[in-house]
This record gives sequence, C-alpha cells and structure tokens, in this order.
Amino acid sequence: MAYDISKMRNIGISAHIDSGKTTLSERILFYCNKIHAIHEVRGKDGVGAVMDNMELERERGITIQSASTQVNWKEYTINVIDTPGHVDFTVEVERSLRVLDGAILVLCSVGGVQSQSITVDRQLKRYHVPRIAFVNKCDRTGANPLKVRMQLREKLGLNAYMMQLPIGLEDKLEGVIDLVAMKAVYFEGEGGTEIRLAEIPAHLQSDAKKYREELLDAASMFSDELAEAYLEGTETEEMINAAIRKGTLSEQLVPVFLGSAYKNKGIQTLLDGVTKFLPNPTEVKNIALDLDKNEEQIVLTCDENAPTVALGFKLEDGKYGQLTYVRIYQGSLKKGDELYNTRARKRFKVGRLVRMNSSEMVDISEGVPGDIVALFGIDCASGDTFCGGGLNYAMSSMYVPEPVIDLAISPKDKKSADQMGKALNRFTKEDPTFRCYVDPESNQTIIQGMGELHLEVYVERMKREYHCEVETGKPQVAYREAITQRADFNYTHKKQTGGSGQYGRVAGFLEPIEADYEFVDSIKGGAIPNEYIPSCDKGFREAVKKGSLIGFPIVGVRATINDGQFHPVDSSDIAFQIAAIGGFREAYLKAKPAILEPIMKVSIEGPQEFQGNIFGLINQRRGIILSSTEDESFTRVDAEVPLSEMFGFSTILRSSTQGKAEYSMEFAKYGRVPNSVADTLIKEYEAKRKAEQK
Amino acid sequence: MVKQDLIEKSAVRNFEKSLGGGIKAGEIGVIASKKGLGKTSILVQLGIDKLLQGSSVVHVSFNQQADHVITWYEDIFNELAKKKNLDKPAEVKNELVRKRIVLNFNQDAVKTDQVIKTIRALAEGGSIPEAIIIDGFNFENADADSISGIKKFAKEMNLVVWYSANLDTAEKGLPSVLLPFADDLDIVLYLDPKADCISIKVLKEHQRTDYATDLKLDVKSLLIAEK
Repeated sequence: MAYDISKMRNIGISAHIDSGKTTLSERILFYCNKIHAIHEVRGKDGVGAVMDNMELERERGITIQSASTQVNWKEYTINVIDTPGHVDFTVEVERSLRVLDGAILVLCSVGGVQSQSITVDRQLKRYHVPRIAFVNKCDRTGANPLKVRMQLREKLGLNAYMMQLPIGLEDKLEGVIDLVAMKAVYFEGEGGTEIRLAEIPAHLQSDAKKYREELLDAASMFSDELAEAYLEGTETEEMINAAIRKGTLSEQLVPVFLGSAYKNKGIQTLLDGVTKFLPNPTEVKNIALDLDKNEEQIVLTCDENAPTVALGFKLEDGKYGQLTYVRIYQGSLKKGDELYNTRARKRFKVGRLVRMNSSEMVDISEGVPGDIVALFGIDCASGDTFCGGGLNYAMSSMYVPEPVIDLAISPKDKKSADQMGKALNRFTKEDPTFRCYVDPESNQTIIQGMGELHLEVYVERMKREYHCEVETGKPQVAYREAITQRADFNYTHKKQTGGSGQYGRVAGFLEPIEADYEFVDSIKGGAIPNEYIPSCDKGFREAVKKGSLIGFPIVGVRATINDGQFHPVDSSDIAFQIAAIGGFREAYLKAKPAILEPIMKVSIEGPQEFQGNIFGLINQRRGIILSSTEDESFTRVDAEVPLSEMFGFSTILRSSTQGKAEYSMEFAKYGRVPNSVADTLIKEYEAKRKAEQK
Repeated sequence: MVKQDLIEKSAVRNFEKSLGGGIKAGEIGVIASKKGLGKTSILVQLGIDKLLQGSSVVHVSFNQQADHVITWYEDIFNELAKKKNLDKPAEVKNELVRKRIVLNFNQDAVKTDQVIKTIRALAEGGSIPEAIIIDGFNFENADADSISGIKKFAKEMNLVVWYSANLDTAEKGLPSVLLPFADDLDIVLYLDPKADCISIKVLKEHQRTDYATDLKLDVKSLLIAEK
C-alpha cells in the first residue's frame, strides 16, 4: 500500500461518560466498512460494540481500557484510540492521550459541558491535543447544540464555532447544514449511508448566513488570504478550510460538529472534519528524553529513515496472546528488527507485527512513522520506550503516583489460586498504579491502587478474564507513622549464655526530617568498628518497616549513631542489627510518634444549587475547603479530604445532589491523623494483635 | 521567633494604630489605587495576620484564579517567615491553610447576593469566617445595593471586610467610583507611588478625612514597611 503520511490521523474520542462515545466509535467503524452490523453499547442483541472488548465494560456500559483500531475513510487512514471515560482511570486516559495527535471532544446535546468534560478537556490541554467538538444525541428531547457551543466557550474557554447547524432537532432531526459549503446534508437509506446534498431549507437560510459569517470572521484571524477574499466576497471552500485547520492545529479554534450517532446522523461529516482539521503525525511536535544526556529533550522527526523510536502504550492479553500496542514516533518498525527497551535495558527482536481492528487483525511486515501497530510476544510494561540505531531515549516519563489503598485478597479455590498470580502479573504490567505484594506476616496477598473503584475493577476482571474468584477484605488505607521530636537511645543487646554469644551496644538519637529515611554515622574513636556500621543501618531500615503504633511503615526519620560498644568475640553483624532495632524502638516512643494518613485532593463539580450540600459533605469528612470557583449556575469546590473518609463517597455524593455532581480525586500528601482517630486506630491494632496471638 | 511574636511584631499592628485601630467587626475598609501598586499584597498581608491570630478568613477573588490567590498567600507567608526567622514555618503554614478558604467568582455573572449566599453556605457547613477579603471587585459596574448588602451581612455575622478598588486616574478626595457607596465604607486608603516607596494615604477613616500617615509599602517586596 502506498504510504502517504499526510493522509494519516491518530485520533482519540474523549468524552463525558454516557455522552455516547462508544456508540460513536462503533458508527465510525461501520461507516469505514470495517464491521457490518451496528450494535448498541448495552445491546439488546447481546453482541455489544466491538471497541469495548472486555466483558466487564460491556456489563457496566462503560469503557475502561483503550484499544486502537485502524479504519480507512476515503483516502485517509485513521487510527481511532478509544479512551476510557471514567474519572478513576485517569492514568489510562492520560497514557492514551500521549499517543494522540488530535481528538474529538464528544458532548451530549442535552447535558452539555459537564464536570467530566472539564476534566477531559483539561487533560487534552495539558498534552496540547488539538480538538474538534461533536455535539452528539441531537435526537434527544431538550437537545440544544447552540447552548452546548456557548458552554464550550464559557466553561472550557474554547474558541468554539459552529461548522454546522441542525435541520430539525429532537425526534425531527433530519440532517445538518454545512456552513462552509452552504448545503443541506441529509443522511438517508439504511444506516444513513446515503448522503444527499440539497439546498438549505428556506426557513433556515438567515440562521445559516449568520453563523457562517461568525465562522468566517473567526477563521479570517488565521489567514490573511481568506480575510482579503472574504472582504471581496471571493472566498473559496479551500481557503476557509485551510484557515480553520490552522486555527484548530494551534489550539486557538475549535470547530463544532453535530449529529446523532444513535440515529446515524452526522457521522460521515464528522469524519470529513477529522481528515480536514486534525493534524497528521508530521504536524505534531513530539519530544523524547535522551537518557545518555541527562534526560535532555530531543525533538523527534517523523522520518522513515531515522532511527526508530516507539512507545508501547498499551498491553493486552487476549485470545491472541500478549499484544503490545505501539506508537511509532520516528523511523520505522520492521519484522526482524532488533530494538532496545530503554527502561528494561533489554534488546529484543520484533517478531510478528499486526494491525488491529478490535476483533480482527491483519499481519503486516512494516510499521511506518506516525502509525500505531501491535507487536506480539514482547516482554515489557506499558509506557516502555523502544529504540533502534543505538538510541537511548525515553518518551517523557509520566508521573506515577504511589498507591494509597490496600485490599487483601485470597483465592476461593485451588483453580483460582493458580490463576491469581497470572492475573496479578498481567495487571501490574498494564497499570503502573496497580501493585501487589504478599504480606510476610499474614501471608495474605495485598493489592494496592488509587481508589476503591480502581481495585474493584481489577477484582472483577480477575473473575471474568481469568475465572479466578477471590474473597476480598475491607479496603485499608495505607497509613504511615512518623516521629514528631528528637529522642535519644542507648541500647545494649547481650546474649552471652551458652554457645556463641551476641553483643552490641548502640547509642544515638532519632529526629524528624522531610525525606523518608536517613542514616548518619557520627561515631568517633571506633566505638563501633567500621565493619558493623552497615549492620546498624540495616537494623534501622528493618525497624522503620513497621511502626509500633499501628504496624505501618515509619517515614521521615533520621537515625544518628554517636556511640557504642563491641565485644571482640561476641559482636557480629546480626548482633548490631538487633541492637539497632532495639535502640530504635527504645527511642521511638519517646519521640512522640504520630500516625499519618493519605490526604486526597478532591475536586467536586456540580450545579450551584448544591453548593451547600457539597460544603457540608466535605466538612463531615474532616475535609478542608481550599477554594470554590463559581459562575451563575455552576460551582467547583477544591478540598483536601483524608482518604479514609472517602469510602463510598460517589454514592453519597450522587444521592445528595440528585446525581448532578461529580468528583475526581488524586493523592496530595500525607497528613497527621487527629488524636481521636489515632486512638481508635491504635486500639483496633492492639485488638487485632491480641486476636492473632491467641 | 515563635508565632505569637510574629503577630505582635507584625507591621499590621502599626498599620492598625495609624488608622485609629483599624476596622472592627461589621465594618468595611477599601484599598484603592491604580493597577500594580500592591493592593492584593496588602489584602493578603491583612489576611495572613488574621489567620495567624486564629481567625477564619474567606478570600474572595473576582479577577484571579484560586490557584493564583493561593500562590500569593504562599509567597507572602514565606517572605514574612524568612524575614522574621519563624520557628517551624511548615507547621504554622498548615494551620493557616486550614482556616483559609478562597472563593473565585466570575465577575460578569455573579452578583453580590450570590457571594453572600456562598459564604452563608460555608458557615452552615461549619466554616464560619471572621474576616472577608474581596479582591478585584468592580465598583464601577456594581449594583447600588451591593455594598450595603455586604455591610448588613458583615454586621450580622460580625465580619471584618476589606475590599480593593481599581482606579484609572488619581483624583482629589474620595474616588468617584466609590462615592455612591461612601456611607457604607468605614476606611478608604489610597496608595500613592513615590520615588522610593509607595505611601499609604487615608482618604476616609470613620469620621476623619484626608490625612497623611507614615505607612508605606516596600517597593520591592510590596510588604507593609516596618517602622
């Protein structure tokens, strides 16, 4: 196939949940002739949309994982990257955003710009993704695309202009008016596949003129040629489109399309919009970090002959085995190439190379720059960079937050036990914020993540994809312990009865610091011989693993040793380790230890009328309101709330705001637990320990 | 220096003394000047002073995003803490943050009634403010009853209220944009740029009018200068 990079588009479909994103993806595939029947998301026929390829997503009607699908529209090749729409999975969203060159921002014509649209748009802005807007569901009662356009301007600060006007609305939606060509477009035949162009209906003529003028005024800002031609009345469609494209690519203009994916209206015109106004891979600046040069920024060139740089942005374990979705930024990717995984520092050979439709795949022998392909059987984690030609680059590393919530899981039966390890191994590779470990004391498997829902989804996936049923404990907040003042220790470990003895004395002090842990040796005159100094460090490191208040790791402590004693025969590595642990424990309680808890930055967005309820909810949860931003109808409250108070929050928020408010949260910092709460935690811990000892 | 000293030795003490004790609960003060002379800086210093004393402060901003306002507080607090060599600054700062709420309103869309409603909602939720700082309010387009509304609210809730007002030109006496509200304003200050400092003039202070003070702002840090 002849390859023309200017005819390639990598796009994402970003949207608020329930604005019909999956239906839209499905229709796009349909019109590009990749699939032959149209299914509904929550399909009555039980088949479901092909982009949501996980059963769980099907059941919940939401899309959790992103899949990339290649379609052809006219002479263009479009890679559609389906992005998850739920707030708890923002790591996934952000990961897919990195590989996009442009996006369709889908909005519901009734709901308009909702809080999640704001979150999604903020992410697009952060990654500088040019976008076009699509006002979906124009067939719904209460549809008002012009209102949505105003909201795009007011709430998102986007310079949004109508590209189309609806012909009829709600159940009378017949088609759209193309404001560039000044034609009415009707979608007829089964599935709306036949496009009929006609004159604009008389009663819409003046509106069409008005909005075209608005559009042209805005577009003229980006092209002197158009501005002049417009004054003389000689503007052409090409000129207008070129100017709008320029505005869109520079993120200074957002063209607004409309239609109804469900009723098969406006999808083909939207696809034309994608090809006309969104960038091809060469028009996007991509930056890599050179690991050999202290992460110096390197601009990548979308050139076939340059050394390969590619990003593995998504792993999938399906019926075909392990697949790694890769975006090629520079150079090409051929079967048999040897590439270097710069994170794992491992070389590997490219085996089978495929291109994915969600349910079908096509073997290919080469991937070109800008393209998205999938590799088979590559051992890697998502987010890894693959380089050729001796390069050692990393695509800008993404910030991965520490998990804040723990959940103990245990398999229900033997078969599940076998599968569990496999599943966990896979999930931890896919998602850097999902981790797991075996607690050495209880021998329980603990999974860790960013929130309740985050972990719930993985437990569900284990059941569905691996037939692994697990019992879960109560979600547990990842507390920490810390000292609040300096305290001295002077501890002697002595065991000199029978056999080889043990002897070591360690003296010094603990003090609070910002960093997690530090060890300082200020021993003078060899009170502890050099060979045993590392033993002391080791002992302290062991001691901070588990605090004596509630058994959580201790952070923010510096242990300094300044004196000690040894015995020429009985001192040993282990004796000094034990002495250091003893010394630490001795000083720890004197150093007024406190319990720290994860504090989340919570943003709640909703209609202004519920502001009082939102304030109340935060205050009830030991939260601090940091700020509140409001306009006439809409309010956003930013607050800091302890994670332990956020369990079940989504349900409570929904019920106290009639489902109209939404929230997102991310880890902010560790903060001190108030005394009353600390006392309860300590009592619970003691009770648990007693129970275990029995 | 410990927190208590920071309060007692604060330049705000002298500021209040020069203004006949400053404004009391239920009163409104205004700092007026041209752009960029330090109105926000003074407001934030007054806010921090209240916070240090353990009062809750609501900072209302019409022209700056909440994040920017928070940065203002951070910067001025750090500056003060450094200058006075404050003990455990991180701890003190944490205490302040707990007592401060920033509200950001869209000037064109939001009327004073809505501001009052929001503060009431906060109070009902348990965050009862003792001082309100209102920055970037547009007096020129303000409804006639907006300041009297705030005044009534301030009296009812025992609030201290400080406004900033933007002036385009220097005028003799009370600026014309403030005239319609003069009865409700207890103190009006004017920032007058001089060669080496910005001096603070009193246009109105309760019953007194038009007198000079020795109060000034350091041009570099925009902090209220100490004696």
